[in-house]
Amino acid sequence: MKVIVDYFKRITYKQIIMCSLLAVLFTVSMLFVHHNYAFYERPIAKVIETNLLDTTEIIDDNDNEDYLYTQQITAEIKNGDEKGELIQFTNEYSTSKAYDQEYHVGNELFVSIDRSIEENEILTGTINDVKRDKYVLMISWIFIFTLLIIGKKQGLFSIISLAVNASLLSYALDVYIQTANASLLFISGITVILFTAISLLLVNGFNEKTYAAIVATLLGTFISLSIAYLVMDLTSESGLQYEEMGFLTRPPQVVFMAGVLIGSLGAVMDVAITMSSSIFGLYEKNNNIPVKALKTSGMEIGKDIMGTMTNILFFVYIGGSIPTLILYLKNAYPLPFTLSMNLSLEVARALAGGIGIVITIPIGLYTALFFINRKRAKS
Amino acid sequence: MNVLVWLTAILFLLMVLVGGSKGARSFIALFLNFSVLFITIMIMLDPTADPIILTIISSAIISCITLFFINEVNSTTKAAFASTVITIVILIFFIVMITELAMIQGFGEEEIGELYIFSFYIGVDFVKIAASVIIISTIGAITDIAISIASPMREILHHNPSISRKELYESGLSIGRDILGTNTNTLFFAFFGGYLALLIWFKDLNYSFGEIINSKVFSTEIITILCAGIGIALVIPITSSITAYYLVKVREKEGDLSK
Repeated sequence: MKVIVDYFKRITYKQIIMCSLLAVLFTVSMLFVHHNYAFYERPIAKVIETNLLDTTEIIDDNDNEDYLYTQQITAEIKNGDEKGELIQFTNEYSTSKAYDQEYHVGNELFVSIDRSIEENEILTGTINDVKRDKYVLMISWIFIFTLLIIGKKQGLFSIISLAVNASLLSYALDVYIQTANASLLFISGITVILFTAISLLLVNGFNEKTYAAIVATLLGTFISLSIAYLVMDLTSESGLQYEEMGFLTRPPQVVFMAGVLIGSLGAVMDVAITMSSSIFGLYEKNNNIPVKALKTSGMEIGKDIMGTMTNILFFVYIGGSIPTLILYLKNAYPLPFTLSMNLSLEVARALAGGIGIVITIPIGLYTALFFINRKRAKS
Repeated sequence: MNVLVWLTAILFLLMVLVGGSKGARSFIALFLNFSVLFITIMIMLDPTADPIILTIISSAIISCITLFFINEVNSTTKAAFASTVITIVILIFFIVMITELAMIQGFGEEEIGELYIFSFYIGVDFVKIAASVIIISTIGAITDIAISIASPMREILHHNPSISRKELYESGLSIGRDILGTNTNTLFFAFFGGYLALLIWFKDLNYSFGEIINSKVFSTEIITILCAGIGIALVIPITSSITAYYLVKVREKEGDLSK
């Protein structure tokens, strides 16, 4: 009991204000997202009853077995002129649910209503999509609370940095799309400089350590991008399959290169700040430490982080293509074709990012040494 | 020659130049991890295999390779390994629940354009596949944090042999907090880079905010990024407590032996 009382005594006014603010925001946003039907133009219906009508076993051309279910759904319309009326759908879904969906009571769906029916008859329509906003909001809150509880101040900075960087990226893409003949690489280049400055200053504050990391990050990213560019140019991009970006009406090479640039940036920043803060840490502990000792320890640290950092990028990129790989292979496409079709860009992106990570280790080391030498010369 | 061959060769060369034998080991570990992932996908094709159990097993193997092969088998890597696996198991059940609720599995209508010739009735549970995608995408980062917390904790114990378990746990937490920002950044930017093509396309389609937030493709991306962030945060207290518990137990055992 005493522990709890002591705990509450230690809470400051700032924390109380912060907590109440979060609680209010949480409640208001959750209430809003559960009652925002009127803000949507598309009709929304909430499922109130489902009946399984039929189950059939199906075997496709490639001998994949699956079950196809037909369900009858009754739902209540939540917005628009038909608000409060009932509507009926029939919905087919399979056990794999790769491109269909089983609906349950309580699900909220975007629907279109058939207009050509007579009066006093129950409305019918088709289901277009699921209303997912409340789940996205719920997970955002879980994310915010987890980061705040575990990370405290640093957690808050991570959330801010995510929000700022995401808005910045969105704005940069808007600029790219609205300006005719705008170069995506140029815009990404500017954005990368802003990303680096904002993220590193936000996490580490204004000091020489951060400046060294910013310089190293920018050098590392642009050198690795040049290597990737040179390789692509020399091999005339053989082996890269841009088909998976086929939906784009824009040149896929440029989009791919911009993706490489932005994708490796986080990892390169991580390496740069790790190198610079550990070398500055050694220097601050012992101002007379010889440059050679700093170099040796710096390289040791670099060796330690190299493997896991490249791993991070590999898994992020390759993980995302698992569903498509399974779809291709289950549709009896040959393995080499499936891999080159779906993985070439992901693997290239991961490799280029890996090159960025490894090259930033010596760059980070020498940039930090440069800043330390300048400091020494001054004093 | 092929772009991928060239990039692989350059990466290998750089890793050996900068990292020496440890760099070479890191490169081999990448290759091994890729093979484990490949085999996992092959087994996932069998509808009777549960993707969740498969994901847990292959994550364990992947973190084994990353921790024990690049580094070595010692008290730190063992603690980091246990923490990674526990975090993955907790996270995967949370993610399956979220995937089922938000119905983000499989393919969105925007992606279906070029896939329309495919049969989608293939018998593999895509809800579980979607959950395993999120876990596999995060496994690298989770292992990284686990080892980044566990190794300095051992150094702290080494320098302060009489430190209590609670103090050791607290110092682990504080190390974790310090690397939280850069690690979340690493993942966020990696995801941004991977999603760039889709983002541009969504902008081209002129979707309204309501359409974007509710669309399967986009909400999947947001949920993946957020779940990855939750995983990165979650591994900090888990690693700190397991490492503190394990290291203190090892210390007591050694103390008993020396008596």
